[in-house]
Amino acid sequence: MFWSKIWFFLVAIAAVVAFTIALVMPRPAQRAAANEEKRRLTVACGVVGILLEGDARNRVDLAGAFARTDKIVAELAEASAAATLDDSRMKKAREVGASVMKTIEGARKPDFAILIDKKGRVVARVRLDENEFGDVVAGRPLVDDALAGYLRDDLWAQNGTMYFVSASPVIKDRDYVGAIVLGHQLTNEFSKKLLGESLLVSLGFYFGTETVAATETIPLDQKVMRAGLGLVKGPDLKSDCTNPINKPLTIRAGKDDFTALLARLPGEAGARGAYYSVFMKKPAEIGFGATLDVVTQEDLAFSNFPWILVGGGFLVILAGGIGLMLLESDRPLRRLAADTVRLAKGDAERLGEDVHPGKFGSIARSVNIHIDKLGRDAKTAKKDLDQLLGPAPEGSLGTIDLLATALPSVRPGGPAPAAAAPPSEFRFGDSGPLQARTTTPPARPGTPPPVRSQDIRIGAPPAARPPATPAFGLATPPPVAAPRVMTPSPMARVEDKPPVSFVSPPPDVLDTGAPPPLTLDDDILGPELVAAASGAPVDPYFKQVFDQFVAAKQSCSEPTSGLTYEKFSEKLLKNRDDLIAKTQCREVRFTVYVKDGKAALKATPVKDE
Amino acid sequence: MVVTTWALTGTSVASPVVGKIELPPPPDRPVATTKGFLDRVENPNKPVRPVDVGPYLLVVLENDTKPASPGQVTWELVGDSFNRPVIGVPVGAEVVIKNVSKTARTLAAAEDPKVVPAEPINPTGSKAFRVGQPNVYTVSDKDAPHLKGKLVVVNTSYVSNVEVTNNVGRFELADVPEGTYKVRIFYRDNWLDRPDDTVTVPAKAKVKTEVNVKVISLATKK
Repeated sequence: MFWSKIWFFLVAIAAVVAFTIALVMPRPAQRAAANEEKRRLTVACGVVGILLEGDARNRVDLAGAFARTDKIVAELAEASAAATLDDSRMKKAREVGASVMKTIEGARKPDFAILIDKKGRVVARVRLDENEFGDVVAGRPLVDDALAGYLRDDLWAQNGTMYFVSASPVIKDRDYVGAIVLGHQLTNEFSKKLLGESLLVSLGFYFGTETVAATETIPLDQKVMRAGLGLVKGPDLKSDCTNPINKPLTIRAGKDDFTALLARLPGEAGARGAYYSVFMKKPAEIGFGATLDVVTQEDLAFSNFPWILVGGGFLVILAGGIGLMLLESDRPLRRLAADTVRLAKGDAERLGEDVHPGKFGSIARSVNIHIDKLGRDAKTAKKDLDQLLGPAPEGSLGTIDLLATALPSVRPGGPAPAAAAPPSEFRFGDSGPLQARTTTPPARPGTPPPVRSQDIRIGAPPAARPPATPAFGLATPPPVAAPRVMTPSPMARVEDKPPVSFVSPPPDVLDTGAPPPLTLDDDILGPELVAAASGAPVDPYFKQVFDQFVAAKQSCSEPTSGLTYEKFSEKLLKNRDDLIAKTQCREVRFTVYVKDGKAALKATPVKDE
Repeated sequence: MVVTTWALTGTSVASPVVGKIELPPPPDRPVATTKGFLDRVENPNKPVRPVDVGPYLLVVLENDTKPASPGQVTWELVGDSFNRPVIGVPVGAEVVIKNVSKTARTLAAAEDPKVVPAEPINPTGSKAFRVGQPNVYTVSDKDAPHLKGKLVVVNTSYVSNVEVTNNVGRFELADVPEGTYKVRIFYRDNWLDRPDDTVTVPAKAKVKTEVNVKVISLATKK
């Protein structure tokens, strides 16, 4: 079993390693997916910044062209020379501005224009707050720079929206006469147009906690975004997208999670908290279960999956396990089982110890040890009984052989021992059929037990038997001497059973003195036998045994003149009690047989039912 | 040429003081407080206008005499800026900020939020307050970061703005009592980092006292 255990251990380790790999393997993929997600957002964020710069350049160019328009130059030169601005001048300038705006072609037509004189006063507004004029817009960085002679852009927030603005100075005859400001509103359409469809992300512009414009109407959590934006510091706004501090944020919107990367917007609006974000729906976590969920049939196709390798590995593991089981378990077990069957059949006296490896050899050795112990116990028991009963009598009465076989194997009605007397159903204190118990009272002290069973048979005459026949009726009775039933009990059954078997009365009817010699002939022939017979009750069982014994002696031409029933029964009773005391058996069965041409009597202890 | 003078004392013997300040070449235009997606570029047709330092200059004559009757100073909010980005105010004078623009503003002084009333100043509306200690306050609107003005509170009644032409600044203070005064010049954010000049005003009335100050650098004290 050693190699089987090693094999199991290796297979278990392989399984654990495989399971660990299966659980761990998605994590690098998850990291790779997160990195890829961040890379896409970073790229998109940078691209959006570049696109906004390009758009600003176009708008500045447009403002320069607008400021160079003759009508605009002339109008602002007049306004700058005026001490005050009135309504008529405003309307005139507004019409000029509107007419110039109509001439602008292309997709980026401005949403409003502001005409400013050199003092910073608003001469006219076109398409936005058209009736307001005269206020000073100098002070705004864009306007101040334009009045100073710069072209530039900015981002303004007003009236709940944001405007991309651009400004240019207005010059007449090498004098600054004012400036113009063009504004483009930031809208959803502009966001979509700016982003295009190649970046595969969404774009949103925010001012404070308000969404100004976005490619998609997804209500991202502004609180989370503001908190994330607060971490982004530094004067260089262009580096926001690649700033390592500026990490992608996971933002909840409805039931979905989004990953967003934020970047600050420049200009006046940027100074007041304007920013934009590129975001995308957060992909599902790539765990073990999620990985299995996304496995497709194509992934398991023969061309994409090493089925041969997997199948081959499985077969190798299976063959190894089965082989080791055969070598170390199945075959030794079959050998032990066959050996045990041989032992049970009697073809072998012991189990082979060296032919069984490992634990099976230990089992065989343990069984053998028990067999040896039983043998020793049997010998010890026989020796004790020999001491108890004495040697078999050689006198005229015959031989008493009370332990011809091992004690445990002697069972009334059970399989016959190798050299045992035939079983009988005669017994004392029998718990046999209810009918027998009700008609025959149990034995009591001082009273001979009644006959409880029958099949009392006498074998063939000595001349017809071999001298070594162990007992009457062990084999089929010879045809010349049919079995003779001797005083059957009224309730006895007549069956085709082994011939003679008598069961002694219970032990409590006997005294427990030292065991006397068990030879019967001397006592039976003695004078006290006759004296003791007077007035003693006749036990039917002992009487039967007595009659059989007398008949056996007569058949052997032995004298029976001195043999009396009283002496005989007394001996039987004493012998039975001694045997019960020694062997702790329940009953004693007496068997009459012929040995060496002489009648003999054998007592067999019956331990249990 | 004198632009603005608010000599508010009523001393019996007083005379005007006129001054000329030789200024260095105007500094480079400062970097814009905010910029757009692009850096600003100069127009190709004409050089950029030089910085006009006049609105950012103040001249003050100080001695140990505190202003007896500081009076009132009006500061107009004309839109996205004040009419003057820097204004001098005697200690204890009433400062009236008048909103002549069309946008309501809520102003506050960065150095002391309690100086300027927190309520918004509606168009055509005004707010008045007094400042008891000499100091420099930056008044701004948090909703319009570009809108900033410097309120310079001085311990004298003799403070004047400067008109600058060709790097020469001129100022005039009327009714300056006789005495010796320290001439201090404020520029943009702070006092110029230079030795103070002194001027002595004689007791004769109606006699102009001329002051000539040469400023080598517009660097201010830190």
